[in-house]
Amino acid sequence: MPQPAYKNLTADCRPPTARGVVSTGVTGRHRFLTVYLCSLPIRIIFVRGWWQLLLLILGILLLTACRGRSRAITFAVFGDPAELAAYESLVDAFHQQHSEITIELQHIPGQNDYRQRLAAQFTAGAPPDVFLLNYRRMAPFAVDGGLEPLTSYLTNSDLIQEADFYPATIVPFKWQGELWCIPQNVSSLVVYYNRDLFLSAGVPLPTDSWTRDDFLAAALALTQDTDGDGITDQYGVGLEASLFRLAPFVWQNGGEVVDDLDNPTRLTLDTPPARAAFQWLVDLQLRHQVAPSRVAEAAESSESRFLNGRLAMFFNSRRGVPTYRTINSFTWDIAPLPAGPVPAGILHSDGYCMAAAAQNKTAAWTFIEFANSVKGQTIIAASGRTVPSLITVAQSPAFLDGLPPASSHLFLDTIPMLRAVPTMSRWIAIEETAGREVERAFYGEATVDEAIAAAIQLTQPEFERAREQGGQ
Amino acid sequence: MKYQLPRLARHLLAGGASLLFLLPVYWMFVSALRAPGLPPPRTVEWWPADPHWGNYATLFTLLPMGRYLRNSLLVVAAATPLTLLTASWAGFALSQLPQPARGRLINLSVAFLLIPASAVWLFRFQLLRWFGLLDTLWGLIIPAIAASSPLFVLLYFWSFRRVPGELIEAARLDGAEVGQLWWRVAMPLVRPTTIAVAILTFVLYWSDFISPVLYIYRARWYTLPVGLQLIRQLDSTNWPLLLAAAALMTTPILLLFFVLQRTFLSNQSLSNLFDRS
Amino acid sequence: MKPLAWLRPPAYRTQLWLLLLPYLLGTIVLVGVPALFTVGMAFTEFNGVARPQWSGLTNFQRLWASPVIRLSLRNSLIFILAAVPIRLLAALSLALLLQRRERLFGYYRAAIYLPTIIPEAAYALIWLWIFNPFYGPLNMVLAALGLPTSDWLGNANSAIMAIVLMACFQIGEGFIVLIAGLQNIPRALYEAATVDGASPWQAFWRITLPLLFPWLLLLTVRDIVMSLQNSFAPTYILTYGGPYYATTFVPLLVYEIAFDLFDFGLAAAVMVVTYLILGWLIVGLVNAVGGWRRDSEF
Repeated sequence: MPQPAYKNLTADCRPPTARGVVSTGVTGRHRFLTVYLCSLPIRIIFVRGWWQLLLLILGILLLTACRGRSRAITFAVFGDPAELAAYESLVDAFHQQHSEITIELQHIPGQNDYRQRLAAQFTAGAPPDVFLLNYRRMAPFAVDGGLEPLTSYLTNSDLIQEADFYPATIVPFKWQGELWCIPQNVSSLVVYYNRDLFLSAGVPLPTDSWTRDDFLAAALALTQDTDGDGITDQYGVGLEASLFRLAPFVWQNGGEVVDDLDNPTRLTLDTPPARAAFQWLVDLQLRHQVAPSRVAEAAESSESRFLNGRLAMFFNSRRGVPTYRTINSFTWDIAPLPAGPVPAGILHSDGYCMAAAAQNKTAAWTFIEFANSVKGQTIIAASGRTVPSLITVAQSPAFLDGLPPASSHLFLDTIPMLRAVPTMSRWIAIEETAGREVERAFYGEATVDEAIAAAIQLTQPEFERAREQGGQ
Repeated sequence: MKYQLPRLARHLLAGGASLLFLLPVYWMFVSALRAPGLPPPRTVEWWPADPHWGNYATLFTLLPMGRYLRNSLLVVAAATPLTLLTASWAGFALSQLPQPARGRLINLSVAFLLIPASAVWLFRFQLLRWFGLLDTLWGLIIPAIAASSPLFVLLYFWSFRRVPGELIEAARLDGAEVGQLWWRVAMPLVRPTTIAVAILTFVLYWSDFISPVLYIYRARWYTLPVGLQLIRQLDSTNWPLLLAAAALMTTPILLLFFVLQRTFLSNQSLSNLFDRS
Repeated sequence: MKPLAWLRPPAYRTQLWLLLLPYLLGTIVLVGVPALFTVGMAFTEFNGVARPQWSGLTNFQRLWASPVIRLSLRNSLIFILAAVPIRLLAALSLALLLQRRERLFGYYRAAIYLPTIIPEAAYALIWLWIFNPFYGPLNMVLAALGLPTSDWLGNANSAIMAIVLMACFQIGEGFIVLIAGLQNIPRALYEAATVDGASPWQAFWRITLPLLFPWLLLLTVRDIVMSLQNSFAPTYILTYGGPYYATTFVPLLVYEIAFDLFDFGLAAAVMVVTYLILGWLIVGLVNAVGGWRRDSEF
């Protein structure tokens, strides 16, 4: 194969004497260009060609501008290195089975950064072909044609069927008559507890049917000032004060977070059952002081306290498991949410979504299909990060693998009780605004009633905007 | 004569102020040497009893920090000289242009200076896509072609204004053209400015933590600030490790600074920097 | 081989413009045009997914109706009014103290300049540690000295102060500029003043300050804009706007509206309004102190 001409040009920049004047083997025109290019740096600085560098820079810019884009299917994820490794092995397995398709994994550590880049990519009309989205964040992408509806793809698939998935996790991804993303997991909120702390304090371990009273009694017993300096060294409970954490307790009380799940028009935290749940949560910190105050939380986060064996019970979804598996200093397990009057839990789920702008939709679907097949979900489940949304995988040793937590099956037992927050285009704005009010009340900077009033008032415009946008 | 404090008081005051300003950096280096995972002692600790230098090694085993370091170095190695070139060109040309063009361009530069970075993020993404520079280090380097910041151009402009006009005129009459005037006559006279701009450019590209997140997709092109974010992602309260990462990121800048500060902050060069004679 | 005709250099003036070309073209393309687009975006409804829809002044109405946005504008103004004077005063007093051409003073100056060049993400992390209410060195030192400690970032009132304090350690640029300004004041002026029997205090007010005035004004204007922009990294890494909106400054709010809530039109509108307010503030300031002195710099 002949070398392209430009390769000859840069090949030899030694002075003519060093390489012999005649024997270059380069044709006349090329020799001129070679001499021209080779002498350019010197001439730029010392002689007169300085402005030719400008042309050169412009030329390089033009050349790069004409560079073709790669044909690979892009797949964007976020998460820590352990999660990245799981997705890397997923992509490897896919390549082995489908050598005709190339997947390019785009990874970013932080969730905020992930969203920021997704925004930039969508704005530029160049979204990743496949990307992970939480169901709470899906609607704004779906409402304006950013996502490819996947209903027909799933119907026509030979590999996976809708009936293979837990219905609880399919439902929130269905919106306005279409299925938009294929759920990867069906996680839920549970209580991670430090078994050793319970045993050494003689507190009975949580049972599968423990009540809020049992929970509070344990929390009170496990909140201790071990060195007697007036500062609590060990807390009973750790919990992120947010609307998303509050919601399951509202449902357990028979209350609702919004007035109408399909057509929400306002927050309903002011109803008595919701208010009671809110008060119960706030009392944990403010009255019983079993959860870190704002200052204590700022000094060391609840999760870090739990990891270091100085916090007994921590509320989290499945996503904490890979990190908690690195704990050597104590044994831990999970318990269900302490039971309220009505059984309820809250769904945590991410789905594989396809951008409507994807060039090669068939290939993109092939990857989504593979990722959510038994094989794909088994690979991801091995990271410990997910509760598989495929019923067969969730009930197989791939998920119930004997690694901690010993009670992993609780994640499956709670699935029938799971509920989801409404799917609507402005939900995240609502959740975050209300979350700030929940946080304020939790740390005693406002009363529960003040926080409820402010949350309802500040989120009202967002409900109205969602209606204007048709994003409900 | 100006009023003078007694010599000792002068040094005490000045030394005290500089120690105060060194304190945050000192705490970073000291706290990075603590044992990870333990609750920190609740007394002032000026030097850890048992320094854990291993924290730095942990960084490199936990993440490919070496690669991030290399990428960051590549970016500054390309961006700094390029910025010096374009900024000094523009500054020199500005100082040579007659009014009113010069005044207008200065005003324009000041206006550019005031534009917040966040106003540019979304559309720069689009531009880089058109140029095909997304997901390459070039995407991070490209502002260097535009002198990185109008501030650097203005700094050069102010410095070149000091170069006596007769000097340039004489050289021009001798047949020198712009390139020679710039390189042979003007540049040697503004060396402190060049060093100042070099340090500022280095810092600018070295610490940029938004652009890599927006424009780089593949882990192999990540730069150090992304590495720092990754460490936070792993464990946001593992202070010794976090501060070790921060220290790792700061050290090259400190080295550069100490190498160049003599020229940068010495008694003589400082007055040359913005001299308005 | 004869060089081609077009390789010959053009006329002097054209050459100057060619030197300017990369900077001008690059800045217009990479900064100017995107900024104009952002201004245009303020008048549209744009979520990044669908095409932008012209919406007139809706975003500005929405902005005005939002208590959170008004609060963030107020917070930012408070921050500017607190940080800019302190930063300038600190830079000026340090410059006065350290302007001497004396042994060791180069090192003192280097120490003052040092915090300014620390990468902002690392700098924010350092302070997050320093402000830690239980373990952080700041409270330890305060307690050891018998002074009252504070929750710093945990309390609405002290959180803004904490961010201001952080900003006060990064005054290197103003400091350097003022030293350069001071060293350029002719010594003869001071000698003449001493002969006339002026006290050092009078000399400072009559000579130093007036001659330094253009520099101070320039720095003030720059600081008003920069300290607002620079508040992004600390609030993003340290407080994320909390506790309860206490440190929600405009840059963070704009970031949140745009990249968390995908409401780019509104975010652009907030940005436009902020810079209109800042512009008004700067023009008012410049007018109040007697106009921009157009000296040889411009």
